[in-house]
Amino acid sequence: MKKSLFIAVALFLLEGIYSQPLWAKVYIDIRSPSFRRFPIAISPFSTALSPSDTMRLGERATEILSNDLSISGFFALIDPRTFTENSTRIPPAETSPGSGQGETAGPEGIDFRKWAHVGAEALVKGEVTYKDRSLSLEARLYDVVKKELIIGKRYIGEVTDLARMVHRFADEIIFALTGEQGIFQTKIVFVSKATGNKEVYLMDFDGRNVNQITRQQSICLSPRWSPDGTKIAFISYKAGNPDLYIKDLRTGEERRISHYPGLNISPAWSPDGQRLALTLSKDGNSEIYTIRPDGSGLVRLTNHPAIDVSPTWSPDGKKIAFVSNRGGNPQIYIMEATGENVQRLTFEGKYNTHPAWSPRGDRIAFDASIGGNYNICTIRPDGSDFKILTANLGRCEMPSWSPDGRHLVFSASRDGGPHIFLIDAEGTQIKKLTFQRGGDTYPNWSSRFRDGG
Amino acid sequence: MSRKSSVWLIVFVCVIALAFIASGCAKKQVVKEEAAAKLPPMEAKKEEVKPAVTPEAAKPAVTPEAAKPEAAPKAEAAPPEAAKPEAAPPAAAIAPESIDLSGLRIQFAFDDYSLSNKSKENLEKIGSWMSKNPNAKIQVEGHTCEIGTDEYNLALGERRANSAKKYLEGLGVTPSRMSTISYGKERPLDPGHTEEARSKNRRDEFVQTK
Repeated sequence: MKKSLFIAVALFLLEGIYSQPLWAKVYIDIRSPSFRRFPIAISPFSTALSPSDTMRLGERATEILSNDLSISGFFALIDPRTFTENSTRIPPAETSPGSGQGETAGPEGIDFRKWAHVGAEALVKGEVTYKDRSLSLEARLYDVVKKELIIGKRYIGEVTDLARMVHRFADEIIFALTGEQGIFQTKIVFVSKATGNKEVYLMDFDGRNVNQITRQQSICLSPRWSPDGTKIAFISYKAGNPDLYIKDLRTGEERRISHYPGLNISPAWSPDGQRLALTLSKDGNSEIYTIRPDGSGLVRLTNHPAIDVSPTWSPDGKKIAFVSNRGGNPQIYIMEATGENVQRLTFEGKYNTHPAWSPRGDRIAFDASIGGNYNICTIRPDGSDFKILTANLGRCEMPSWSPDGRHLVFSASRDGGPHIFLIDAEGTQIKKLTFQRGGDTYPNWSSRFRDGG
Repeated sequence: MSRKSSVWLIVFVCVIALAFIASGCAKKQVVKEEAAAKLPPMEAKKEEVKPAVTPEAAKPAVTPEAAKPEAAPKAEAAPPEAAKPEAAPPAAAIAPESIDLSGLRIQFAFDDYSLSNKSKENLEKIGSWMSKNPNAKIQVEGHTCEIGTDEYNLALGERRANSAKKYLEGLGVTPSRMSTISYGKERPLDPGHTEEARSKNRRDEFVQTK
């Protein structure tokens, strides 16, 4: 952990060597309801290592970047096979020889007309250098139409930082072209039975770098990121009962914070990270309460003989959606964060569970049994505009939103599994993220945080 | 009506008295057994009432009867005559100290936690065993099928465990002798994905604890 902190600092310091204000032009208007996909070309990253680039650094960087921009849904990636330019080394006229003095690399060396000819409006070029065990990534984004540089960055770190560097640059591209923060440095926590026991795992948002983070050798469930990205709340049967734990990712420490008799399940962090909503059954019935992350300050919210479970907060922290079968079967309800004013949200179907409130506040996702199939659905918090998002993916459950509210991850039992899948909020693009034996479920998407790890 | 029936009654009594005197107790037993064999359900009802009168003899007779209907005639003979010697074999058939709790698991309908009659029967057996073994403690495990998400099923499993525990409390088992835990859908009995498999998984399991 400490090492990556050092690297992160190094990365941070060396960023922002080249930059240009771009307030004048709006490249992608993401607020427009039907914006067209922005055509961008990624020229394959070169490696200043050739001919013996056994690590394929340039190739991997290109692949990670292409994947990121493709997942975002903002772009139409120009097919690299249309590129006629074979050599992708940045011509000498562009590079300032390793000094990083902020000299603007003149884009005159690039034949923008050729790129415009294949339909690109923006172009990314980059180079990876590996020397003396130090990895350096230099990348630039150009406006093909105006024939000028938009942003240029250089990152320095270790060879294991390649993905992180590329994700960071991808976020810069998103910010430069849309004005919104990107999500490429975010992570997903989930449950996998790969070891034979259900344990908590971490991975990058695109499915790479899977890491096991608990070794309870029991049953672990419901992992949930704290909003600041430093802790994971989760349930474990390690002590012989479903209890609530919080793991600090910085120190590795795991602390049991709720172990009342009966259930201590379904944790949900408030958006300000000051409280957790959870389900306890200690008072005779499963009800929703809130507590502080140290386990103190218990407040009861629901008071009904039915099952009340699975809370999720609105992004402004004022309301909580949850599951209750007080109407006879499990449906989604909404209440004030004080527990008052319970209103039913879902009326379609007989089995709606696992609500997840979008960070944009405008929709709530949940899994629903419809005609014998389980699919991910979304609905507005006022109950209107019910939409079915998934189809033909087997049993789809447990949705979780990306921090920009444009994507969801969920667990689906297509191809055996279950495995974790990624889908955009319109339901048009699907990508399988996990491939482990034993089954992967319960994904939870982190917020954007300043440092990826 | 009364005159005619009282005449018949007197005749009937005489016949019986004659039979009684002539053949002794054994024959009477034979008669009773045959009657029992012909009408097992009615005799069963009689058994339930008996405990109020002769608790020691009746109770061992009742439980084996419920478990082994074919032994009914034998059990019938016990209460009317020489209760103790007849009762001894049935009592030995279930040793008071041990019980196969795993065989007494109870099933539930989908998304439901109410007890069926069969479930209540099993719970009565458990309750009976617990009353004869005052030091015994059990844990009731609530389980669900795979349908639906983990969290809701954890709550449902807990309901199922509590249903059974409350019923046992009603039978007189002290609450402190029973603990509950819900495993939701985490520990299926049958990992299959058919409805047959799922219906097996909607259950409570009973485990003896220290």
